[in-house]
Amino acid sequence: MAPVTWRRVHPVTPVVKGWKMVAAILVIGAQQAGNNVRDAEEALQTFGWGIFGAVLVGLGLLGFVYAFIAWRMTRYAIDDELIYLQTGVVFRKQRSAPLDRIQAIDVVQPVLARILGLAELKIEVAGGHDSAVRLSFLKEDAAQALRNSLLARAAGLDLGPDHQRQQAPAAPEREVLVVPVGRLVVSLLRSFVVVVPILAFAATVAVAWFSREVGAVFGILPVFLGSAGYLWQRFSGEFHFRAAQSPDGVRLRHGLLEARAQTVPPGRVQAVRLTQPFLWRGKDWWRVQINVAGYGKADEQQTENVLLPVGERSDALLALWLVLPDLGAQDPRGLLDAGLSGEAGDPRFVTSPRPARWLDPWAWHRNGYTITDRALLVRRGRFNRELVVVPHARTQSLGVRQGPLQRRLGVASVTLHSTPGPIRPLIAHLEASAAGGLMVDQAARARQARAAAGPERWMLDLREQARASLRTDAPARLDLPIGPA
Amino acid sequence: MTEPVPFGDPAPTAPAPGASLLAQAGPFDPPNVRWQPVSRKLITVRLTTVAIVLVLPLLGSIALAAFGGVPGLWAIPGLVVLVGLWAVVLVPRQVRAMGYAERDDDLLIRRGVMFRNLVVVPYGRMQFVDVQQGPLNRWCGIATVQLHTASPGSDAAISGLAREEAGRLRDRLAARGEAQLAGL
Repeated sequence: MAPVTWRRVHPVTPVVKGWKMVAAILVIGAQQAGNNVRDAEEALQTFGWGIFGAVLVGLGLLGFVYAFIAWRMTRYAIDDELIYLQTGVVFRKQRSAPLDRIQAIDVVQPVLARILGLAELKIEVAGGHDSAVRLSFLKEDAAQALRNSLLARAAGLDLGPDHQRQQAPAAPEREVLVVPVGRLVVSLLRSFVVVVPILAFAATVAVAWFSREVGAVFGILPVFLGSAGYLWQRFSGEFHFRAAQSPDGVRLRHGLLEARAQTVPPGRVQAVRLTQPFLWRGKDWWRVQINVAGYGKADEQQTENVLLPVGERSDALLALWLVLPDLGAQDPRGLLDAGLSGEAGDPRFVTSPRPARWLDPWAWHRNGYTITDRALLVRRGRFNRELVVVPHARTQSLGVRQGPLQRRLGVASVTLHSTPGPIRPLIAHLEASAAGGLMVDQAARARQARAAAGPERWMLDLREQARASLRTDAPARLDLPIGPA
Repeated sequence: MTEPVPFGDPAPTAPAPGASLLAQAGPFDPPNVRWQPVSRKLITVRLTTVAIVLVLPLLGSIALAAFGGVPGLWAIPGLVVLVGLWAVVLVPRQVRAMGYAERDDDLLIRRGVMFRNLVVVPYGRMQFVDVQQGPLNRWCGIATVQLHTASPGSDAAISGLAREEAGRLRDRLAARGEAQLAGL
């Protein structure tokens, strides 16, 4: 291995991280005091405010000193193949991650870092829990420059031998999707998280009116707090959402307090899901989420896996096109429309057979799948609609399951196993023989697609494609959006 | 089903060539697959586990019934015995229903009597292989081989493999995985 140049993260880092420690101490202290108010009062009286304050300041200083030592002990380096990160004060840890295994790179700016013009570079590699390489904090433009050079190198671009100094140019990008704040607010208001507490409130007010007891109204306070917290998380995380297209992949920027700029390189998206909660139907709005190996398991509130928080159908299809430009279907728009809102009887979708109505009386004739040259599409649900797209090349493994009731009715369910994330593709209640056939065929299709899949270094792939298109005059597929018809 | 398909492309509903064969065999018996059963020693291991779990409640409830003085209390040890009998009936069937098959490109694993389950794991998708052996397993000379892909959903474990067979399978899987490994 050629000697690498080790670098430190930005010297202001300890200030930002030290504050985190102080905040943690304060929170813990406040919680403890809140739990036993009397003890806290007694302690204050015996020791006096002075000592109390001194202890706090001392702990805070300790936090800053620790953060400073941690900063001294943290360093990173990059060579042609790997990125190295050394951390840890007592237990030293060196992590090295291959550049061609990068699944996504995020530039994250928590509030304090944002004020100081710093940013954390979070390099996601597929792995178990907490597998990202985090460089925190760098100067904002340094973080972006490093991201560009990492992406360029991961893509297989040759930056020359003296790459440590040479800056990779930022890949040109084109903004394609913007979510207006108004739409985000309306979309959040049109959800059961808002409707249910309001109904509950109305009900308790009615109860209080008739029973002449006001106490009941306060009983639903936790419900309000819970949904307010949820809505705030969604709002601040998805605030000012923009998606841009670049040769590096898809760039997603969003966040009210904590700003986040994500880059997901081509071919890193394992599955896409378009969902429409019941209350968005009137507007025909859709939400698009993705599975990316590095982002891991996320709950509904996390924004890492969101490709489009809310958008009209054309926006949602454009978002889908950004990550899966070629569905391998003759009439992609028609097929997707059938998947999004089509009802029973569409010949392109294989749906549950009639006996499945005993297991799923509402949606059995909508639940189904279709197969294109490139992907498997699964549609589900009648009130809350859902369409999942899994590229054949990204199928990990497959399973088929059948419970006793299903066996009675001659149906079985097929699951496609994807990397951890919000999407778990399931084709429920297929005709048993069709389920078995689908399993075998899909395994074969996935194998062929993988064999034909491009190299991990996607620029090599693009170059190859460009050459191929020059040879055969094939249409450049990358510039044919399926979205805006 | 017989309606003309717009856009002229063949409908994906068209049955695959093997479908008619599958229709007779059901989804858990793909054609041309030779299933390998797992070791019968797994029955011993699982029943021993059940016995160990049940013995304390049984003794406790017998003691309670003997000294409690209420005749109805004897129902509790009776219930525990029933659970044990149910396990004696069920476990051998479950173990006999387990099987795996190594195909050219993927491994099939099936299990379950009431709730049946079949998993297809392509060799190229395997990230790593675990071989596990608890004390009871070691006593009986069997082991569990578990395949891990990048998905937490692929629950691909084969229990009750003879120790040598587990080692052989692990090595074969590792070799095949390496030969076919693709990225994520």
